[in-house]
Formats: sequence, C-alpha cells, structure tokens
Amino acid sequence: MLSIRKKVIATGALVALVAGLTACAPGDDAEVDLSGKDVGAMANFAAGEQFTATEPINFSILFSDHPNYPLKKDWLLWSELTERTNVTLEPTVVPMSDYEQKRSLLVGAGKAPLIIPKTYPGQEEAYVSSGAVLPVSEYLDLMPNLSEKIEKWDLEDSFEGLRQADGEFYVLPGVHEDIWQDYTVAFRTDIMEQLGLEDPKDWDEFRDVLAAIKTAYPDSYPLSDRFKGDSLLNVVAMTFGTSAGWGWDAASWNEDDKKFEFTGATEEYRAFVEYLHSLVADGLIDPESFTQDDDSAIQKFVSGKSFAISSNAQTVVNDYRPALTETVPGATVAKIPLPAGPAGNVLSEATRLENGIMINADALKSENFTAMMQFIDWLWYSDEGAEFVKWGVEGTTFAKDADGTRTLNGDIDFVGVHPGAPKHLQKDFGFATGVFAYGGATELLESTFSEEELAFQAVMKEKDVLPLAPPFPLEESEREQATLLETPLSDTAKQATLRFILGQRDLSEWDDYVTELEGKGMSRYLDLVNSAYDRYAETQ
Amino acid sequence: MNTLILLGVVGVTLYPFVNIIAQSFSGESFIRAGEVNLWPKGFNTTTYQLVLSDSLFWTNYRNTVVYTVVATAIAMVLTTCYAYVLSKRKLRGRNVLIGIAVFTMFFNGGLIPNYVLISSLGLTNSLWAIVLPNAISVFNLLVMKSFFENLPEELDEAAQIDGLSTFGILFRIVLPLSKAVMATMVLFYAVAFWNSWFQAFLYMDRADLFPVTVYLRNLIAGASTAASSGGGTDLAQVASNIQSVTMVLTVLPILCLYPFVQRHFVSGIMLGSVKG
Repeated sequence: MLSIRKKVIATGALVALVAGLTACAPGDDAEVDLSGKDVGAMANFAAGEQFTATEPINFSILFSDHPNYPLKKDWLLWSELTERTNVTLEPTVVPMSDYEQKRSLLVGAGKAPLIIPKTYPGQEEAYVSSGAVLPVSEYLDLMPNLSEKIEKWDLEDSFEGLRQADGEFYVLPGVHEDIWQDYTVAFRTDIMEQLGLEDPKDWDEFRDVLAAIKTAYPDSYPLSDRFKGDSLLNVVAMTFGTSAGWGWDAASWNEDDKKFEFTGATEEYRAFVEYLHSLVADGLIDPESFTQDDDSAIQKFVSGKSFAISSNAQTVVNDYRPALTETVPGATVAKIPLPAGPAGNVLSEATRLENGIMINADALKSENFTAMMQFIDWLWYSDEGAEFVKWGVEGTTFAKDADGTRTLNGDIDFVGVHPGAPKHLQKDFGFATGVFAYGGATELLESTFSEEELAFQAVMKEKDVLPLAPPFPLEESEREQATLLETPLSDTAKQATLRFILGQRDLSEWDDYVTELEGKGMSRYLDLVNSAYDRYAETQ
Repeated sequence: MNTLILLGVVGVTLYPFVNIIAQSFSGESFIRAGEVNLWPKGFNTTTYQLVLSDSLFWTNYRNTVVYTVVATAIAMVLTTCYAYVLSKRKLRGRNVLIGIAVFTMFFNGGLIPNYVLISSLGLTNSLWAIVLPNAISVFNLLVMKSFFENLPEELDEAAQIDGLSTFGILFRIVLPLSKAVMATMVLFYAVAFWNSWFQAFLYMDRADLFPVTVYLRNLIAGASTAASSGGGTDLAQVASNIQSVTMVLTVLPILCLYPFVQRHFVSGIMLGSVKG
C-alpha cells in the first residue's frame, strides 16, 4: 500500500509541480482577479523578450547600500533601466550593515517599499502570518523568464522547499544554474611544492598534507582557521553526508527510513566530529581556530605562522596574497579543490537558491501590479536583464565578441581587471552590485572569474551532487514550537561538537551527549518535523 | 605607587587611540600582518586623501554637525524649562509631571509603533525625526532638576521682591548661577547626538541625509561581513586603514570638546548629586 502510494507521489509530484509552478496555484482558493491591474503591462510578455512598460511607471524598492559603492543618482544603471523598461525605481536607501533590521521594521510597520530584494530564503517566514508579503507563487504565470529557468535548470525541487504550510511561497529567490562551491581551504602552495606535496583528493590525504607540513615545521599549527571554523565545518560535514557550521541544518533526511533525524545525533555526524578531533589531537589544527577573530587568523597566515586557512576566491586575492607576498618573499597561496569524503566526491545541493525578492502585499492593490511582476521577471530572471545588471551596456561599459566573450572597456575597472583605470563598474556605473546581480547562468557567473578560479570551478563541476532533502512545511503554531525546541537543541549540539573536536570532552561520552539531546526534547522536535513531512507527502 | 598605577591606566586608555591613529597612517599589508602598534609602518596619507575626497563622507559629516547643533540647542531649551518647573517644590501637580517623565524611562511603545508614529507625523527624512523624539533625556532632566533645587530659595524671593518676573528670575538669576550644570548637559547631549546613529538609520531613507556615524558603521560592517557573505560580486573588502582613518576623523571634533568642558563637568555633576 505504502509503496504504491510512493510511486503515485513520485510521478504525481512532478506533474503537480510543473503545473503548480507554471500556472496559478492549485485552485483551492478563489482565483485572484487581476483585471484593471495591468496598466503599463505588456499584453504578451514572453521569455527572452525585452520588457518595456507601455507608459512610464515608478516602483519603490528597498536598496541595500554597500559602503564600497554607495548609491549615486547619476548611475548609468538608473538611466539605462528607465530607457529600456520605462520604469523608474525609487530607492529607499538602507545601509548594508543593518539592512535586515530596517527591513523587518518597515514590513512590520506596513511602510515597506513594494520591491524588497536581498531577502534570503527562510527570512521571509517571519512575515508570512501577518499577510504583509505577497504569496508570489500565485503569480508565476506573469513571470515567463522565471518559469522557463525553473524548468530548464531543474529547479522544481528547490522551489518546492520554499513552500509554507499553506502551499504557497513568499520569496522569489535568486537562482543558480549550477551549484557554485566557492569556499574551500587555501594552502601555501610554495610550501607544498617544497615538501613535494600534491593537492589532497580526500580528507585522509588532507590530513597527510597537514602532517607533512607539521613535520617540517614542528612548532606550528599548519591550519589556523578563520570564520570561527564555520566554513571548514561546513565543507567537511558536507562531504561526510551531514551538515555543520554555516550549513548546519538541525533536521537531516534519512533516505532509508524515509524520515528526518536530528543531525547532531547521526552516525555521519559522529564520524565527522571524530575526523576533526583527530586533526586537532595531532596538532594539525590550531585549537584557536574556532574562537579567534578573522583578523588574528589572517595575521597568522600572512606572517607565515600557519600554512592553511579557509577561503573563497575573493579572500585569496584580497586578504591573503598581497600581504603574504610582502611579508614572506616567494610565498604563494591558492585554493585547493574541495576534498572528497565518506559520502563520496560530492557537493550539497543546498546552495542553488540565492537571496531574492519579497513583494509587499500592498503591491496587489496597485493598477501596475502586472507590469511590476513582468518588470521583476525581466530584470532579475531574463538573460538580457542579468547581463545588463552585471556588465552594463554593450558598447558603453563592455564589448562582446563573436563567440560571446565579454571584455570590460579599458577605462573601467572591476575585480582588478584594469587596475588603475579612472572609472569603476560598481562605483561609477552601479552595475555588478549585490542588489541586482547575483547567481544566474553559469556562463554569466564565470564571465568575471579569473583563470585560477575557472580552473577551480572546472574541478568542482566534476563532483556529484547530493540529493535535496524533502520539505516539511510547518504550520504557524508548529513553527513557533519547532523554533523553541530547535534552538536549545542546536546550541547543545554545536557546543558539544566543539568540545568533542577540541578534546575537552572525550568521544567515549558520545552516548551521554545523545541522551542530553533527548533531554532537550529531540524526539518531540523530530515528531513535529516528521508529522509535517507526512502531511506534506500526503498532499503530493 | 599611585603614579605608577595611574600611568598604567593612562597607557591602557590611550593605547587604542594611538593604535588607531598609527593604523590610519600605515600601509595595508603591515596592518594585515599585525605589525602596527604605536608607530605607523609604511607611512602614507593616501587613505586620508581618499576618504576626504569622498563627497558622501563630507555630506554626512555636515549632517552630523547640523543635527548635533540643532538637536543640542533644542534639547537644552526644553530640558531647562522642564527641569526648572520641576524644581519648584510648591508647584501643584509636580509629582505628576515627574511621574510622566520617569514613566518613559521604564516603558516605551516599542520600535514599530514609534516608527509608525514618526512617519504618520510626516517627520521621516527630516531633521525633526532625530531632534524631537530625543529632545528631553529623563536622566539629564533629573540631574538638572536636582541642581536647580539646590539653589537657595531666598535668591528667588529676593529677586521677586525686586520685581523680576518668572522668566526674569530664570534668565538673570538662575541660569548665570548654573553654568556648571549647563556645560555638563551640553556635553552630554552633544556627545549623545554626535554618536547616535540609530534614529537616523530608522527614519532616513536617503544616503545624503545620514550622519557620519551611519556612514562609518556601514563601512566597518562592510569590512567584517563582506568576507563571510560569499556573494561573489557583492564581496569587496574595505581596507582596515580606511576604517581607522574614518574613525580618527569622526572622533576628533568631539574629542576636542572635552578639555574645554571638562572643568565644568566634574563640578556640575557633583553639585547636582551630592549636595542634595
């Protein structure tokens, strides 16, 4: 009986998904009437088409102001946008430092602008019950470009995970065509070469490399980490088939039992903790890695006291390389491809949705509602829109040759391609900023990468992708309870993780630790999660 | 012995300042490597030139000065009036007036209701959103009130007999005798308004209306979150000596205010509190 239903779910889910995502929401509640709300909208707006409002329109937008490239009214971005789309954006400027606080204030006070970008999936949940944000899933038929991307890039499962208990989702996330793994560990490549060491393929070899460096420099800790260790925990856990650090997710899906388990109590998690503990116990990782601030870690690395540190592409170029080459002549640093782990040579799927857009529910009252959805669809989800916000205007800021390679004009600098150029793509033109340009097609994403980073990404692409966990949309009342249970559980797990890793607590006490989790309501939490999942599975 | 301890205290207090100043003149790589302590390494002033050439910095700086001056002036007038009234023991309903003030020390409407109030009054994006809600600090009010209470009542009576009006007494007798507490209050208010960023952050929607504290805060936060946000194009580093340069420039004026007000400061506080 169950297995039959599973099959029905599996096949039915796909059909329902495609239907649910491309058409209006399954019609349990009355169809929303959009007549009279199409002022300025294009009659047959289709994917790949230039959106131009039929009359001039203004939309308010919340704008996260970056200290490195503060908003300027004379940015080419604004004038060109109006020229192409007939839409003028009216930004409410919020300093990036406290963007989230102002956003919740404005939404809470009912004074938010219509378009609210830079909202990460999950952050919208707080506003769902108040009805302040729009259930965007009901209006995807107004967004041909997004619908096309969801289908073409196989994003159905990712979007399914956004749905709340009412079956709708409330945020239009940024989307990545492929998984993009930026973070890994950076090594002193000159030292590795000198000692005859290869890039480690898996975490055991990673240990060997660190051990070899330790042998050569017995007084040092080869790896002294930044980000409070969260990046390292994240990438190691990922390849152990679990989650920790930045990627910490309290509930892990167990495919064999078809139910959720508490991440911190799984065997995979234990193996992950044991591995890291062994590195610390052998003196390969600086115990301060999990507490020191970033600057201390960077200082140790660039002054030659440590030899490895967590990194992404930018930190290598900005934080490590310039200072390192100055203080340690002849030193070189590069990211190593992410090593494989017990779960295989894998990446986690969790990273394909980016921060995106919430829409103020008041927008529905506007006569320009349809035009606004079309505008958002064009600007954030069409290929032309994505190229425009990232590279600017062809002929003015960049040139494109026959095979599609883009080159920035010589008098414009961006990520150091033309150092010393008089103008800057972000500061002087407003392009390639985080409010409009992120994610998207891999071709576009990688169009600004350095050779070094392209090589790294090529290796990353060979990795397998772990399947996504199914969603478990919680009801409003359940969510509150789940948070109340989850917070102390996660705190206990994270604290114990560090104590186990650092050896402050012996790993033989693992069972006691699991008992402690039980005492904090682990099974009550899992009951909530699993019953929400069962409810979800039945509707599919 | 005392001298030694106090010198130690001076050292501990001054070190962060000196360090920041040294950093502001240092090369970026020396700061990254943690080699800058008391003296700049790789001496340069390029960052100063860079920050000083940012027009937004100057706009915000001017805003801070304007906000501080206007807000302090208004706050002084209102606080003095309120405190003077409260200091009259014979005033009917005095306890109610004190109660109203003290009540706000313990209870307030909360962030969102406050925001709704200010924006319904049409004060957002104007100087008044910063000035009016903070015009009376209850703590300052109470200090001032107890100072006024300690002025001998006989002075009042003598002035009344000589034919001075209520305002005449305030302006010609009381205020000239209260220079100490006035200077203290001006310092308290000015420093508070100079340092405040939250009100401006809440109620201002345009970057050219922000005070320099918001500018500075964004700069520092930008440097520390950029690395962990990981969002490719959005990721950029603010050099740590830009931070220190901005800090030096922001702190300098208010730091210069202290020595001039310092001598009133101690006597003002002592008079207000102990004698009562």
